[in-house]
Amino acid sequence: MIRLEKITKSYKIDEETTFYALKESSIEIKEKEFVSIIGPSGSGKSTLMHLIGLLDKPSGGEIFIQGRKISNLNDDQISSLRNEFIGFVFQQFNLIPKLTVLENILLPSFYTRKKLNYDPHEKALELIKRFGLQDKENSYPNKISGGQQQRVAILRALIMEPKMILADEPTGNLDSKTGTEIMELLKTLNEKEKITVAIITHEVDIAAYGKRIIKIKDGKVEK
Amino acid sequence: MSYFLFIVKSALEDFKRSKMQTFLTSLGILIGVFAVVTLTAMGLGLKKYISDQFDSLGTNTLFVAPGKLLQSGGFGASSLLGNRFDLKDLNRLKRVRSITAITPLSSKSGEAKGSRKSEFVTIFFSSEAFFDITGFEIDKGRFLDKSDIDKRAKVLVAGPKIAEKLFGSINEALDKKVSIDKVTFTIIGVIKSKGGGGFGGPDYDSYFFGPYTTGFIFDPDKKFIRFAIKTDENINISTVKEEVKNAMLKRYKDDEFSIVEPTEILSVVNDIFGIMNIVLIAIASISLLVGGIGIMNIMYVTVSDKTKEVGIRRAIGARKNDILFQFIVEAVALSILGGALGLGLAYLGILLVQPYFPAYMDVTSVVLALGVSSAIGIIFGVLPARKAANLEPVEAIRYE
Repeated sequence: MIRLEKITKSYKIDEETTFYALKESSIEIKEKEFVSIIGPSGSGKSTLMHLIGLLDKPSGGEIFIQGRKISNLNDDQISSLRNEFIGFVFQQFNLIPKLTVLENILLPSFYTRKKLNYDPHEKALELIKRFGLQDKENSYPNKISGGQQQRVAILRALIMEPKMILADEPTGNLDSKTGTEIMELLKTLNEKEKITVAIITHEVDIAAYGKRIIKIKDGKVEK
Repeated sequence: MSYFLFIVKSALEDFKRSKMQTFLTSLGILIGVFAVVTLTAMGLGLKKYISDQFDSLGTNTLFVAPGKLLQSGGFGASSLLGNRFDLKDLNRLKRVRSITAITPLSSKSGEAKGSRKSEFVTIFFSSEAFFDITGFEIDKGRFLDKSDIDKRAKVLVAGPKIAEKLFGSINEALDKKVSIDKVTFTIIGVIKSKGGGGFGGPDYDSYFFGPYTTGFIFDPDKKFIRFAIKTDENINISTVKEEVKNAMLKRYKDDEFSIVEPTEILSVVNDIFGIMNIVLIAIASISLLVGGIGIMNIMYVTVSDKTKEVGIRRAIGARKNDILFQFIVEAVALSILGGALGLGLAYLGILLVQPYFPAYMDVTSVVLALGVSSAIGIIFGVLPARKAANLEPVEAIRYE
């Protein structure tokens, strides 16, 4: 479904030095998979996450999404892929503070150019109910707990019915009990809803939720 | 909820969270819009007032005034200072056949003692023809007549306002005595209100009108400040003007008198207010420009503050144009807020001065004020909004 071929990401630090965050790494994530990408801090896993999530462009190599070359797409087309194809979940939740829970969940639907075959507002309310956030839809993010905020972030990722959820350290800001709840939730989404899940973590027990684990170290994928 | 309403709502949410900053930012636009709306309202009101004054004189009227009254698009100063006319001129003009009525005019101001209280008043001295020329109508009593002129009668016709002030009511004023500069007059009539008053034109309601022959008591030189003429309706007014001019030229040089129609004065008034409006708009534009720069400045700050938010929005699928649009809407909302507050304030201000000044607000200035403030929002919002739209998603989302 998503394939990274000999991806390099480098930053020029000064005239002589170039820093390589990623070196000729190749990764493939297949449909309905649950993949964990694990690596210590500074290993290049965040860079990898930004590349998979189409937030960043590689310095070398090519990314394919369902066979389409990303380098051939313009900024609007890439934005649409982020909108419809991928759902992001971040370590710091990244909700917009001035918007209510419901508005945060609906936000991706405001940006879509696709005709949806469902009413996003109804779907959001249904998701809120299903994931135990009822009575919170009109609350602001700073009025609910961290675990609830991360659940809102997951619902925001789900509103567009994406093919893949991309989670960057989703439990990093949560206590272990809440973290487990979030991981169980992602597991359910993968198993019941057949959504591809890719998580990025430095914790072994979190990575263990994945059916496949990709290790990354010093900008290189370890086989 | 549509996307547009949604971003308007979230912009307002931002404003609510930083009320003081929002207010101060829109203050520039507020002052600009307030200034331009109030000043044009006053200009417009004044223009309307003066137009009404001259309109009431009708179309078949001419004035003969000393000096050059209208010079290169403005009123000449000499008209106030120059030589004044006398009875010889009056008699000469009376012989011009195309004139149906003529009156000399002179005036006298002084303290008038009534039964109630004293007022500072102005008397217009004229012939009985004055009332015909100006189209005044009598309310109580009678106008001046020819015998008043011949007998140098010490009689006055009063404007309704001054009659009320001096005697309490119009009915009371009739047949009462009033003394001005030790000369005692009898009030023989009160005219119907001509309206207006205040600023920019003669307030006929507050004047007295007396026989010009009686006016000579105050002026041993027997001079007049001007003549008012009613022309024959069947004769082209420019022909009449030419005849009056020829009559005047027998005694005066071409630049020692002017013959004007009320419509000419109106066009001069229009010219003056046209220029005044341009000056006002130029001044207000500077204020709006400064306001716009203020908005641009604060929008740059907002873009920095919202880098993370932009990153989040981009990550979940917002396009560059979506971000551009969002920030432009915010800038426009900010400037329209200022514009609307300025407009509201101007409205209150106009209501406040209306009893003393004929200020007048029209729909055009409302539409223009809001249109200009939106335009300012767009113009000064574009650059900051472009900066926000061109943020790299990955850098924006990493921003703390």
